[in-house]
Amino acid sequence: MTPNVLLFAETPAGIDWFSPGVLLATAVTSLAVSLWLLLPKAGRSGPWSRRMGGLLGLLALGLFIVTGQRLGNLGEEAVLLTVSLVAVVSATATITCRSPVYAAIWFALCLAGVAGVLLVLGAQFLGVATIVVYAGAILVMFLFVLMLAQPSGLTTSDRITNEPLLSAVAGAVLLGLLSLSIGRLSAEEAACCRLPSKAAALSGAAATPTPATAEGFDLLAADQVARLGGELFGRHLVAVEAVGVLLLVALIGAIAIVSHGLEGDQAETSSLQEGRST
Amino acid sequence: MMTPALIAAAALPLLQNGLVVGAILFSLGLVGILTRRNLIVMFLSAELMLQGISVSLVAWSRYHGDFGGQVLVIFVLSVAACEAAVALVFVLQAFTRTGRLDAAAWQSLREDNLDRTVDREIPALDASSPTFPRLTQAGNLPETDEQAALQRDHV
Repeated sequence: MTPNVLLFAETPAGIDWFSPGVLLATAVTSLAVSLWLLLPKAGRSGPWSRRMGGLLGLLALGLFIVTGQRLGNLGEEAVLLTVSLVAVVSATATITCRSPVYAAIWFALCLAGVAGVLLVLGAQFLGVATIVVYAGAILVMFLFVLMLAQPSGLTTSDRITNEPLLSAVAGAVLLGLLSLSIGRLSAEEAACCRLPSKAAALSGAAATPTPATAEGFDLLAADQVARLGGELFGRHLVAVEAVGVLLLVALIGAIAIVSHGLEGDQAETSSLQEGRST
Repeated sequence: MMTPALIAAAALPLLQNGLVVGAILFSLGLVGILTRRNLIVMFLSAELMLQGISVSLVAWSRYHGDFGGQVLVIFVLSVAACEAAVALVFVLQAFTRTGRLDAAAWQSLREDNLDRTVDREIPALDASSPTFPRLTQAGNLPETDEQAALQRDHV
């Protein structure tokens, strides 16, 4: 994903097989094939096709890593690589696992990886909140519903998927387009909408976009969680209140749907019986 | 301690790597929501897409040195919690009506000009079912009181 405008760089000898465009195209193709092989489907989906799918997925991941940008800091690079590999591999397992319970457990591991990525990107509070809110609350709720509704394990619908080939191709093409446009992102374009730093805004020297400096970098300060709280309850106070109202409405709505659903069922069956008797 | 020059130099590659991770998670979630038939796995895939968006927002937030992206992710988290609560209630209602967690159980809601999808080939269950470890017996079996066992509500 170098910022290279020429996709297929033609050398005099022909196509350069190691240009980033060719590598990206190979990555996208092998990702599509591997997702198709990995998804549960009727017909040829033995352990061999799953193994082939896993190998092709690893090839795609390796190509994405090879074409990625170097960070220039070996420790940070290694940590980011590890946590994003955990996130991506367990996300793939989430959507390809036949058993929904295993899918939920893989999703918990994916959340751990995402929390690691958020920590590397400097969002300490969000990394911890992802684990606490998602893995601690939402995922447990999913597992509760699963065990309430489907205690006997696998049903036939878990072993079939709708249109695995078309969906895998659609997802891979979307990923190819996104990473192509991300690779073409250059420093000037990305900085076009950068806010002027607070010091510059205060001193009145406005609109010239300034590169991020340590003073303007609230994000990496030692008390960044306190600053995030200040931002949240200062500039975004109205939105916080609105989200509080939304949580209350969702709570009441869930209870209302449950109780009204039961009443509605009874009313429906009684009206049906009346219709039959008349 | 990172110097300002180091931060500025690493900013763009870090942004690009974060965005690529977010894009991969989003596409995987999209594939999952398109193909899977279990309602709960479909919701897991939707949450996966939300995770991808969160990673992208935090990457931009890091790049710009601004808290806006992180604040937005906090709102995404709370909206996801609301969505999960309401959606799971809907799933439970759907399950009590049809007795299945299959999205195809609701295909009577499809458009008029579409054919009914029929599962022609149902793959067999894996012969290699997971083998669970056998625990060795520790100690003697306790004596059971037949009378007390009969009077219990649940066995």
